[in-house]
Amino acid sequence: MVNVGDMLVGYATDEDVRKRGASGGLVTAVLAAALEKGLVENVVVMKHINEFEAVPIITDDVDEVLASTGSLHSVPVNLAKYAMGRKVAMPAKPCDTQAVIEQAKRDMIDLDNTYVVGLNCGGSMHPVTTKKMLVAMYDIDPEDVVGEDIEKGKLIFKTKNGEEKAIAIDELEEAGFGRRESCRFCTLKIPVNADLACGNWGVIGDLAGSATFCQVMNDKGVKLLENAIEAGRIEVEPASDKAIAIRAKVNDVMVNLGSTLEKEIFPEIPDEERVQYYMDQMADCIDCGACKEVCPVCACGEDSKCTMFHSLVDNYKMSMYHLVRLLHLSDSCIACGQCSDVCPSDIPITLLQSRFAIPSQRKREYTPGMNVDDVPPFFEVILK
Amino acid sequence: MIGNVYQTVCPGCNMGCGLYIREDEEGALAVDFMKSSPANLGKLCRFGMKLAHHYSKATSMVDGNEVSVEDAIKAASDKLKGADVTMLGVGNTTNEESLAFSKIADALGTVVNTGMGVYSELPTECHPTVGVGITLDDIESANRIALFVDPYIQYPLLVRRILAAKKNGASVVSVGWKDLNLADENRYIDPDMYESELGLDSESVIIADVHPNTDPGWVKRMLNLALKTQAKILFMKPFVNATGVDLLCKGTGQKGISEIMDGINEGSIKTLVTLNSDPIELMPDGDAAAATLTKLDNLIVITSRDGPVNKMADIVIATEPLYAKAGSFMNVEGLLLNNSGESTTGIDAMSSLNQNLGGEAMDYQSLHNNVLESIVQKYTKPKYKELACEVLDIGPVEEKGNLIYLFNPFMWFDQPDDNDFVMVNMNMVNKLGLGKGGMIALTSDAGTVNMRYRVEDMPDGLILTAKKLPVATGWTTIVSTEAV
Repeated sequence: MVNVGDMLVGYATDEDVRKRGASGGLVTAVLAAALEKGLVENVVVMKHINEFEAVPIITDDVDEVLASTGSLHSVPVNLAKYAMGRKVAMPAKPCDTQAVIEQAKRDMIDLDNTYVVGLNCGGSMHPVTTKKMLVAMYDIDPEDVVGEDIEKGKLIFKTKNGEEKAIAIDELEEAGFGRRESCRFCTLKIPVNADLACGNWGVIGDLAGSATFCQVMNDKGVKLLENAIEAGRIEVEPASDKAIAIRAKVNDVMVNLGSTLEKEIFPEIPDEERVQYYMDQMADCIDCGACKEVCPVCACGEDSKCTMFHSLVDNYKMSMYHLVRLLHLSDSCIACGQCSDVCPSDIPITLLQSRFAIPSQRKREYTPGMNVDDVPPFFEVILK
Repeated sequence: MIGNVYQTVCPGCNMGCGLYIREDEEGALAVDFMKSSPANLGKLCRFGMKLAHHYSKATSMVDGNEVSVEDAIKAASDKLKGADVTMLGVGNTTNEESLAFSKIADALGTVVNTGMGVYSELPTECHPTVGVGITLDDIESANRIALFVDPYIQYPLLVRRILAAKKNGASVVSVGWKDLNLADENRYIDPDMYESELGLDSESVIIADVHPNTDPGWVKRMLNLALKTQAKILFMKPFVNATGVDLLCKGTGQKGISEIMDGINEGSIKTLVTLNSDPIELMPDGDAAAATLTKLDNLIVITSRDGPVNKMADIVIATEPLYAKAGSFMNVEGLLLNNSGESTTGIDAMSSLNQNLGGEAMDYQSLHNNVLESIVQKYTKPKYKELACEVLDIGPVEEKGNLIYLFNPFMWFDQPDDNDFVMVNMNMVNKLGLGKGGMIALTSDAGTVNMRYRVEDMPDGLILTAKKLPVATGWTTIVSTEAV
């Protein structure tokens, strides 16, 4: 029997899934069981294309779930929007989960129908930057890579010939590579906002590398695990005190690093220079709208204030589009980095939004995407 | 999997921007970002973001009536047998379909024209450099960049490359029609002064473009500038596979779109067959182009889109959407990019047509192998082709009007955008007494149109537009102005 708050270690019973899946394939098996036993109608998974590319798909095929890829640190996609309008289960980084919850607050996702299997996340990397890093720092041809992992602060790549090469993430980031900037100042590493919080931190001893640490966060998490156990797809056992302590320690290190880097990434800008700073940063915008389109917490659709108040014919030094978005997202921005990823002018939009939003969110003691009952400070209409 | 996800390339220009098209259960389309794509890292411009609207489905037609594709092919075969045929394929489709189209041209004893008339005016030894320019990555390591395009409006994915070059120490000079934020210098100088004033050398890059309405004298001027300064050059182009189709059609007529339209008006062209190429969209004056097309005896359109030419065509042979096709494209730097689609409807249709005309059957794999053999071996690893021609005689320079088109993907594909305004400078605003929210009336031989305006830093007297206007008669037009 599984209870809310349980800390467990488990793995897929199918040897192939256990071997191929990240850390024992527990997440894959839980998702497959949710579909198989009718807990959900669809599962969102990443279809593997290569080590640097995977595409989110929505499936009702258990085999497709079982064949899906495990964690890929260089495929930084936010999956929240793929869950909309469906009875679905999905793997989710902490920021995916935050976005799901923010969308639920706006009635775009029904949490009763959405099962979120959270994954620990130390940060993700841009695929093209990663390929360049492999050549420059690892002396590895990207085509030779067959796997990657993050362990003890090091980024490890495995090659076709069975070799592994590890370099400290600090060293990579000092050289201009490594994690995306938004991931560096992120302080939510274990998805305690999900239904299950899974990952390899705290998996020790004989199970290291072949099992998943899983914390049950709520009743839906209980359902997910019990469903998978009943389906015979997973086996779990209580995590040891040592495992729990190690997991907490790794998390503390990662969170502290994020807090430290936040101070470096957001140097103070004098009040009298702020407007000019934002105008200069936004000056190369080509008005593509990709930052809005990709934003996983934006629930406005095509007719939104940021686009309605904006026109290409205007001569404002900084467009109404950006001004409205800065304000509108100041309570809901989760700093997931998607907008910076897709900006064709390489404007660091996530940093600009975060610089604006973080002080506001802290002042109001509000962290977006943690609990569906937390009402956003600037909410216009209280739904439901 | 529920629905379909296609890995494809944006058809807005020949940058080669990778993306996913997601087709849901009801057939609705959405764009997804392909972050591992080498040309664009998943980033897309405003045209790419609106691509779902671009893929309007074509329907096979004969004389305005919807028919099966087989019937359309049969009707086309009957019209084409023994006819004197002109063929147009600008590169809005895959290499494999372009090659199939060339084989139909062989069967008909004619050639495929790419619509880029400028090539026939240039020595063949400089074609490789015009076709395949400096790599996109190499832009970032230039010491100086001279811009003869407005990247923000015309080729937006260049912006980040140029900004990256600046971060690496490059200086940027814009020699365009209006001030650009990313330029260190915005110059409006006499073309004869380019060599002495722009400070270019062998570590510099010139970025210009070539399109169906380009003045050949202008391209020669760019080539001469590159030759004299030893700067490298990149000619952007407006069609996804303009580079591939140029290489596949090398040595053929390369008749320009204007030349084809002139031929129709003069009566020397009576039968036109197009492959994903719409003259109404391609010509600056779409209404005039439509009027010209009515003079044809036979207009046969092979296309994956429902463009304005379809409504005028005697026969439309509809093919699958571009994103669903099996096939490849070559981008501006010579990089081969593959679609994940597996459909060969278009190739199968052209194979049937070719057989009806006495040619051989064609299949996708053979065509693909042929593409690999004929063009890819030289270009799979992009490398700059040094200019091999001598300094060129520029010849007479086309007289320019004061209304100038900033061609962009929305204009090439007649797609709606929210750029319903013209750009003028403050002196014109003051001279005409234009007020906030006012309109400017533009009058040419083709009539009058009232437009909203945006103020830009740009030379006196010029009016720029990124939208096709009914008063325009060419890529530049003489217009008079007044406030309304």
